[in-house]
Amino acid sequence: MSWPTRAELAAKAAQMTRDPVTGEVAAIRYVGVYKAFGTHEVLKGLSVSIPRGKITAIIGRSGTGKSVTIKHVMGLLRPDQGQVWVGDDELAAMSDRKLRTVRNRFGLVFQNAALFDSMSVFDNIAFPLREHTRMRRAELQAKVRDMLALVGVHHAEDKLPSELSGGMRKRVGLARALVRDPEFLLYDEPTTGLDPILTAAIDELVVHTHHARPGLTSVVISHDMAAVLRIADKVVMLVDGVLAHEGTPDYFHASTDPLVVQFLTGSLHGPMKV
Amino acid sequence: MLLGFLEELGRAARIASLGTVNVFLPPFRLGLIIHQMEFIGIQSLPIILLSSLFTGAVFTYESYEAFHLFGAQGYVGGTVGVAITRELAPTLTGLLVAGRAGSAIAAEIGSMRVSEQIDALNAMAVDPINYLVKPRLIASTLTMPMLTAIFDLVGILGSYLVAVHVLRLSPPEFTVRLQDWVDWDDVLAGLFKATVFGFVVGAVATYKGYYTEGGAAGVGRATTTSVVVASVVILILNFFIAYFVTSSVSG
Repeated sequence: MSWPTRAELAAKAAQMTRDPVTGEVAAIRYVGVYKAFGTHEVLKGLSVSIPRGKITAIIGRSGTGKSVTIKHVMGLLRPDQGQVWVGDDELAAMSDRKLRTVRNRFGLVFQNAALFDSMSVFDNIAFPLREHTRMRRAELQAKVRDMLALVGVHHAEDKLPSELSGGMRKRVGLARALVRDPEFLLYDEPTTGLDPILTAAIDELVVHTHHARPGLTSVVISHDMAAVLRIADKVVMLVDGVLAHEGTPDYFHASTDPLVVQFLTGSLHGPMKV
Repeated sequence: MLLGFLEELGRAARIASLGTVNVFLPPFRLGLIIHQMEFIGIQSLPIILLSSLFTGAVFTYESYEAFHLFGAQGYVGGTVGVAITRELAPTLTGLLVAGRAGSAIAAEIGSMRVSEQIDALNAMAVDPINYLVKPRLIASTLTMPMLTAIFDLVGILGSYLVAVHVLRLSPPEFTVRLQDWVDWDDVLAGLFKATVFGFVVGAVATYKGYYTEGGAAGVGRATTTSVVVASVVILILNFFIAYFVTSSVSG
């Protein structure tokens, strides 16, 4: 198998500047991305674009590479082959130092929140501000408390993460991701493990957060199909490490493709085997 | 197996070298360094005080028996002094700190790795080497000679107490040989070793923690292997430093 050259990949990326589903400018582009861990291939030539200013949902079975996809866009993982573009920046060729400047444009809400367990809720949210700004103490306190109020955990600022419920941890994780007003907000399965009411509350928070910040590009990985089809502007479906389908929620509702139908209905019978 | 060993070696060298380079790169993280020095240094004091007191005591007691056979019990102070300052203090301090603080560092960073907290640092554009590895590496390297100096003093005090109050040597018998035989080169040789051992403990613990994989079991493995690897490296390096470096220092 011969791999495409960097110039060929860049030429392909240049053809992907507009998102085919929404017609918006492509803020993030994956071009022929391959990624393996040992002998286990996760991404097998993924090419897809994420539109600017929209909510894009990435769906697919467990192990199809959704989290790996999201981690590539911040340079937390580097592709074995292919390119990942954020605007006009190609990440694979960047030094760690340059990558950190790109990461400053992102907020990432981790599946398990990934809060620093030795710090209080307040310090967790204040952490990115203390690291990257010279904000005065009073200003910093006000900003953190605004965030806590936004996600509805203002009563828990002195608590440690171990003292919070799963839903509260996710809210604090969202507050920490939002505190520096990122251009891109990535959610890695934000509702996994939550009850239906908390799930609806987090989904509502995702939509509210997105619409409260004009220009914000949101990417959500989720298994909650009802929510995905309700909140997303674009849905990307991955199967075996490649793009299987992309479209609007209406496209997925109307699709008769066996893959889509099986995934949306959660059926055991269909092309995807358990 | 050889490839695996080389890969391990490469990763360890990467962490140690990046950590060292980061010492000179901002942010300098003075607060975190002081916090780690408190954790590695101050919190290790009780175990160092106890160990040094009884190491000096038992070494004196055992060696007195042998010297007494030849009527040379006056040599006890000098012999114990040289042994403590050159060998026992740096080596035992290194092993104790590897067991107490090195294991805790590996466990802390390892659990941060498996719970994605290190990914979170990266995601927030914070260099985990600068934030996690550097302060621990500096603190470990700086505190080890300080703890060793305390081991020197308390070890010799333990030796003096046993020699004078248990074995009934006169104070001058103990102190004259001690002053004659132990000079600054011996003390400095021990402190030099301790500085190297401090770097080894910090580098091994942060490296093992940083590359932890496999959940809670992986954290357990990282903790255990960090103590084993640091201890073995300290014992091996102790010989080579004695042979190639500190022997020439003392002439």
